[in-house]
Amino acid sequence: MEQLLAPLVGDASPVTVIGLCKNAGKTTAMRRLMAELGEERLALTSVGRDGERTDLVTGTEKPDLYLKAGDLFATARAMLTLCDATLEVVDLTDVMTPLGPVAIFRTLSDGYVQLAGPSAAGQLRPLTARFMELGAQRVLIDGAAGRKSLAGAGVEGVALLCTGASLDRDMDLVVAETAHTCWLFARKAPEHPGLRAALEGAEERFALFEPDGSPLELPVDENGSPKWNKLPRRPLAVWAAGGITDPLLKTLARRGAPTTLVTQDATHVLAGRSALELFLRNGGQLAVRRELTIAAVAANPWSAYGWHFEPDKFISALKQAVDLPVVNVKEDQHGIDP
Amino acid sequence: MELTHELRENAGLQWVLNRLSPMSPFGKAAARSLRWYGPGDEAALEEELDNVSLAMELWNAGTTAPQADACGCAPVVLTQAQRKDAAAALRGVTRCLPLFHDIRGSFDRDPGAPFDLVELFEIKHFLVTLEQLVQAYAALPPMAGLSFPSLAGALVLMDPEGRRLPTFAIVNSYHNDLAPLRAEKAKLEKAIRMTQEDKRGPLLEKRRVLAVEEDKLELEVRRMLTGKLMAYKEDFLSNMETLGRLDLIVAKAKLALRYHCVRPTLSPDKSITLQGVRHPQVEEDLAQRGEQFTLLDLDLKPGCTVITGANMGGKTVSLRSTVLSLLLCQCGFFVFAQAAALPLFHRVELILADSGPGAGGLSSFGKEVHLLDQLLRETKGQFFFVALDEFARGTNPQEGAALARALVRHLGSLDCVALMTTHYDGVSDVAGAHYQVAGLVRDIQGDEGDDPRKRIARRMDYRLLPAPPGAPCPRDALRVCRLLKLDNSLMELFQADL
Repeated sequence: MEQLLAPLVGDASPVTVIGLCKNAGKTTAMRRLMAELGEERLALTSVGRDGERTDLVTGTEKPDLYLKAGDLFATARAMLTLCDATLEVVDLTDVMTPLGPVAIFRTLSDGYVQLAGPSAAGQLRPLTARFMELGAQRVLIDGAAGRKSLAGAGVEGVALLCTGASLDRDMDLVVAETAHTCWLFARKAPEHPGLRAALEGAEERFALFEPDGSPLELPVDENGSPKWNKLPRRPLAVWAAGGITDPLLKTLARRGAPTTLVTQDATHVLAGRSALELFLRNGGQLAVRRELTIAAVAANPWSAYGWHFEPDKFISALKQAVDLPVVNVKEDQHGIDP
Repeated sequence: MELTHELRENAGLQWVLNRLSPMSPFGKAAARSLRWYGPGDEAALEEELDNVSLAMELWNAGTTAPQADACGCAPVVLTQAQRKDAAAALRGVTRCLPLFHDIRGSFDRDPGAPFDLVELFEIKHFLVTLEQLVQAYAALPPMAGLSFPSLAGALVLMDPEGRRLPTFAIVNSYHNDLAPLRAEKAKLEKAIRMTQEDKRGPLLEKRRVLAVEEDKLELEVRRMLTGKLMAYKEDFLSNMETLGRLDLIVAKAKLALRYHCVRPTLSPDKSITLQGVRHPQVEEDLAQRGEQFTLLDLDLKPGCTVITGANMGGKTVSLRSTVLSLLLCQCGFFVFAQAAALPLFHRVELILADSGPGAGGLSSFGKEVHLLDQLLRETKGQFFFVALDEFARGTNPQEGAALARALVRHLGSLDCVALMTTHYDGVSDVAGAHYQVAGLVRDIQGDEGDDPRKRIARRMDYRLLPAPPGAPCPRDALRVCRLLKLDNSLMELFQADL
């Protein structure tokens, strides 16, 4: 098989496959990656439930994950009946899901499995560590789909971003949204080492700093909400622990001096493109405490809703808009799916 | 007897239980439904206390802490070397306890419904962990009444190869047809791997048929295992119960060591003797304010004993301390005192005058009368203890005092031990015994700027002193109000009226 994705993810682990929307081709990318990494002992799990034979939202057929003997995977107990590989139960995690507790299995034969892993981001890290203890060489995570549902997913290792025609009928919009997400994921930690150090310990919802990291008192009203209009009219850095929303960006854009807004990581930015553009036009900068990496963009020109884009046009438009490798994971299948 | 939520909270038992740290789900369950050792259970209670003191001695021997805490009441005498080995064994037991998962739910099933793979894994995990624990337990001096029925047969079933691996799979040896089928399937899977992706269809279909076949065989195996395991159900459940009891004993021992509790003795007659009793919750509150709890001595004979004394003199705390000691002892715990000799009651009750939100439309007076009535009805023919906090204070003083006196007389004629606080004169006249809080005895000047609570505490001698029956209640309300800095003009009117 042609090595399409494996060279792009390198030695990174875990690799989290995320989608801009449902049916963006997440599972296809996952299968492709598994096939290309066939020599490695893989460990798989998902964020919540995915990988169903039939997508519960749209009713389209979704490919199953076919594992090779010796691989590990974590799934909820109720998914057992949907797995047809010969299995060994290796461990039971303390992660509870609506589908029962998540257990860790080893495949004793090749076969199909269904993933329904932890839904909270905080539960993925210990699971990944456990996989490595159990001898996994690389962890693959079937991540969330939909940019808003990425919030707080805190992707470790690298991400593979799946995008496609299912997001919208308008190709230009799909390309722009994809570029926007890639831009967010490319945000870096603040350049000033003083500010970086000061942010390490930031726990509060909001905090105010000089550009060099010296702390400033944030003016608040009687409810404890920040009074953004009382900020000194000079360049400042603002730490925001929660989601970055449209109103916050618009308020900071209008305060009359450039702001460096620092968030935990790119997945915390919930705001739309227009608010972000307004913020940036007014001299604002967006930085992150933890940098995330998208290794590549996997594009699916076929939507689940009856329309599709011309594959070559879509790929080249993405390549122009995005400063990352772009691949069509369905290239091999001559565009006959679904 | 039922340990109601209200009783546990009011007596401070819940505070103690919150500091109990059982490590297994079975121990947690045991701590939630504590056994009540009533009259007739003396031998069982002594057995439980023996076990707790043995666990204390061994737990202590396993730490580097000074050994002065060993209570010397352990039932067996061990040499230094034996003690060291046994302490190591106890650590071995406690290392296993947190590893257990609660699998009681798995056994609560229709025997026709087979265990799934994860349940079988859990059962094997339970059996392997239990084997380790039982091995460690065997090296301990025997604890009375705690034995683990053998589940060796079940372990052989779940681990036919005897490798004690912490994993479970339906291995070929469970069914004759499994090995050939799986070999054929593996061959096919190999062929699938060698085939180009778009030409795999027919092979995958063949594989699917074999996978269904395998699933059927595995189901047969799971049915067989379920049937055989369910035959051990009673032994599984009894092992889990014993684990819970053992876990609870260790938790009780650790609690007793942490808080320097003492083993209660059963009094030969129906009287209660408490020396240096304290209430740990109040003690902790005081310690946070930099104050010290005054240890109390109480000697209660059958009939009603009355406590009088200044407001804020610790009368209610003495009631709560007494009730807590009784509850702990009758649940098989050590008690928060320097020495305690207690009889076993059918029932222990604490009646506080507060009418909280749960009073069901009753006033504070209505509620205490209702609770008392309920208690008297339910304890006909029983030996009981009741503590009453300023009974009948919520009604007019003349009738209230008469009712309190009548109750003291009435309790004197029943098979009970009772303790009542009151501000009414004349109540102690009819009581079996009378204690008085030493009271605001210390004359201190020059701390006007301090926290009023501290100022009262500084002047208050909280000790309970035996007082003659009929000794008048102290008149300290005025001084307490003054120390609490009640409004001046109000104080003037108050003083003028006295």
